[in-house]
Amino acid sequence: MELLPENQQEFFRSKAAAIAHPRELVIDALRAVQSHHGWVPDEGVTLVAALLGILPIEVEEVATFYDKIFRRPVGKRVIHVCDSICCWTREGEAIFTYLQEKLGIAPGETTTDGVFTLLPTCCLGACGDAPAMMIGLTTYGPLTPQRIDEILAQVRAEVSA
Amino acid sequence: MPTLTIDNQPVTVAEGTTIIQAAERLGLVIPHFCYHEALGAAGSCRLCAVRIEKGPLKGIQMACMIPAQDGMVVTTLDPEAVEFRAHVAEWAMTDHPHDCPVCDEGGECQLQEMTIAAGHGTRRFRGLKRTYPNQDLGPFIVQEMNRCIQCYRCVRTYRDYCGGTDYGTFGSRNRVAYGRVTAGRLASPFSGNIIDLCPTGVLTDKTFRFKCRSWDLQEAPSVCPHCSLGCNTLPGARYRELLRVKARVNRAVNGFFICDRGRFGHGYQNHPQRLREPHVDGESVSWNDALAAVHERISQTTEHHGHGTVAFLGSRRATLEANLLLGQWAAATGCTRTVYECHPEFDRIARTVAARLGDQRRSPGDIQRSDFILLIGAEPLAEAPVLALAIRQAKRNGARIVILDPRPPQLPCAFEHLPLTPEQLQLALEQLATKKFKGWTRDESTTLRNLGKDLTAAQNPVIIGAGALLGAAGIERLFDLVDASSPAARPCGVLVPLAGPNSYAAGLLSNGGPDFDDLLDAILNGMVKTLVCLETDPFEDYPQHGRAQSALAQLESLIVLDALPTQTTRHADIVLPTTVPVESDGCYINHEGRLQAFAKVLDPGLSVAVTGGGDHPPRIFEQSAPGNLPRPAWAILAEILKLPTETAALRQQLARTDNRFAALTQIHRAAEGEIVTAIGIPPRPQDDDGAVESSVPGSLQLWPIDTFGGADIFSTYSVHLDPLRDEPYILLADEDAKQRGLTDGAGAVLTSELGHLKVRVRCTATIPAGIAFLPHLLRGATAGFVPGGGALSCTLKSVEGEA
Repeated sequence: MELLPENQQEFFRSKAAAIAHPRELVIDALRAVQSHHGWVPDEGVTLVAALLGILPIEVEEVATFYDKIFRRPVGKRVIHVCDSICCWTREGEAIFTYLQEKLGIAPGETTTDGVFTLLPTCCLGACGDAPAMMIGLTTYGPLTPQRIDEILAQVRAEVSA
Repeated sequence: MPTLTIDNQPVTVAEGTTIIQAAERLGLVIPHFCYHEALGAAGSCRLCAVRIEKGPLKGIQMACMIPAQDGMVVTTLDPEAVEFRAHVAEWAMTDHPHDCPVCDEGGECQLQEMTIAAGHGTRRFRGLKRTYPNQDLGPFIVQEMNRCIQCYRCVRTYRDYCGGTDYGTFGSRNRVAYGRVTAGRLASPFSGNIIDLCPTGVLTDKTFRFKCRSWDLQEAPSVCPHCSLGCNTLPGARYRELLRVKARVNRAVNGFFICDRGRFGHGYQNHPQRLREPHVDGESVSWNDALAAVHERISQTTEHHGHGTVAFLGSRRATLEANLLLGQWAAATGCTRTVYECHPEFDRIARTVAARLGDQRRSPGDIQRSDFILLIGAEPLAEAPVLALAIRQAKRNGARIVILDPRPPQLPCAFEHLPLTPEQLQLALEQLATKKFKGWTRDESTTLRNLGKDLTAAQNPVIIGAGALLGAAGIERLFDLVDASSPAARPCGVLVPLAGPNSYAAGLLSNGGPDFDDLLDAILNGMVKTLVCLETDPFEDYPQHGRAQSALAQLESLIVLDALPTQTTRHADIVLPTTVPVESDGCYINHEGRLQAFAKVLDPGLSVAVTGGGDHPPRIFEQSAPGNLPRPAWAILAEILKLPTETAALRQQLARTDNRFAALTQIHRAAEGEIVTAIGIPPRPQDDDGAVESSVPGSLQLWPIDTFGGADIFSTYSVHLDPLRDEPYILLADEDAKQRGLTDGAGAVLTSELGHLKVRVRCTATIPAGIAFLPHLLRGATAGFVPGGGALSCTLKSVEGEA
């Protein structure tokens, strides 16, 4: 599967050439690879380094620092469940357990149909809506088992559409 | 100069000194992990907490982050600070495995020391520890990530200080790990320093793994024998085997660092081919019989052929003591042809340096403080690796680095590079001095003119050049340029890496005497019948192998003192086995005239690993160890001369006889060595300008050059360094390769006056057309291509074309 379309590669190449610190494009380029390819394989790291004219290690350091950059295959949608303190005080643990039972997977695993990957995350900044989770770039909360059922059904429908 | 009080003791320190450094001056060690003198402070480990009682920032502060100020009062013993440190240590220990009994760092572990110092003794954390997979970092370094306390010292050492580009920090929070993107050998030639700098057992020496506990090692201060820089080392040995080498601190020379050649090149000491017994005419004999034979051969030669028919050849890798004694022995036999270097070009260079260096000498420590470094025909990574590290520090401090060299430079830092041919280098040296630029393109001429101006304008410039490309004539021009760039107010520095660890002494001792070419002539004319070689290999190190062979074949007797087998010991009539540097006391004089002593680490002998074949050694009880016959060359010579064979007494005697080396008596106490200020005698003027003969069409000008993995005999006998040695390759310009139908990585046959040689092609755009380089490896396929003998004419054909 293609890592990044040629026109986007060219976009990063020319932008990197035009700025003083091409390193500042690392996150953008990694995210571009991720949204096109689903996750960032080793070749993705090498490609970003080559596009920006920096060392692979400089890309890998950033790629591994952020847990929203996936260096391993994930499902079509990644569920990030907050395990930080506000969500914890509002039954966040029970919500996480419910999600695991509902999806039939442990944290870090992907459902057999390849739709969902479940991951814990630190604070999403959605403390007002605790307990919260994030799917893609959308934050959901306050969560209840019923609400989770609805959201999962809705996302599944979007994916299969 | 602020004066502050730490734990009720006043101390005055320089502006900008931090509290932790000020405390160090008082002998107080404040517990720390991330702070290191060479790396500076990161403020990340939080272990060096102290209380500031009086000063602008009162309360608990990090001692490594706060500069000392006048009137400041600091206490390290404040209960709150003590408790703070105990918690930080406990925290660092929560994930640390309790595997000290099987950890190579145990016993010399900063984490052990600091944990105790910080007052953490009993583990309270009962949770699971975080664990990591380890990465294979190649043949030199083992990684054991679970032991990591995330101090970032390895990355700061490898990337920031040493300029490596393939090691970094991964992950975040409590998942932080260090390593390469993919498993594999760390590419930096200074990779081993992360072993010394890692405060715990994450990064340990693979060649030393599970060999010995650190407290069981025999250790003694030593000096690295692998190049002319004289980096200070701390070798460790056990059971008659040299097991490892660590860096030892000498702020004027190597700081806290050494290169991987110095660290992992120690396999020579225990090499199975070491010369262990005296031999006369191929028969193993006792020392008494061997020395009697030496005496007999020399007196026979003198009787039959007259005085002066015995000649002596000293060496760049023999100790100062041995070289001095060789001179005394020569004088006693009436010899007028004592030579101290068998490579005439390197001999001239050493003499020039010993005669002209003076106060313009620069050490790697000085280089770090330079603001303008001009490298002309020098490749520090091959010729004096730690020099490259010093240049990098200068660059980090804001210096400008300019390289004039036909080769693609390999410095671990940014630089400006002007690829000039070796002939153009000579021209540039001459014209930078005269400031009259002729024979250049307009661009080159502008660049050189600006370079000349910038050199004059610089505050603390240094010019670095080496002999392999410049030759002796070039080094003389280099000194002329240094003189021309040195107004009285601000002398320009100079650094010339020499051929071996004691080359400077050889240059000083030669005293205007003949060189090895003269000696070979004398042998060919029948005026010399016996030659005594002291730890030198003229068969391999003299550039024209054929001439050396035919001359040396005419000798009646060849007497050789050496530790390792060489072409010369194979041809010798009498072989006297000597110790390698770690097996005896001795002194070397480094490239800048710094006399440094090294002490005996272990006695010579076959290691238990050999005698036991990997098992328990034989249960035989003897007074002496097997293979213990090698003796220090100076002890053999002292016995021949009936002088004391004990170090201190001998040094006294040598210092008395030759007052240039008066420092010898005290040298074992000099922490940074002692500069020998005596001025040598310059070489006689030479007609030959080192000009390269005009070449046949289609041929390339081939320059043998030194490499990181094989410039000295000790490291070529070290199997640990095998991974660093490439198969023979030739380095040439893209267009030259293309003309011959060759591509990068292709196989080719190189034909020169030295015959045919299969090489791999490496090409780059920056090499000037018509020039090629062949990295020389002693004892290997490229052995005949000795650097420093000028260029050869060669042709290159693709292997496919041959077939």
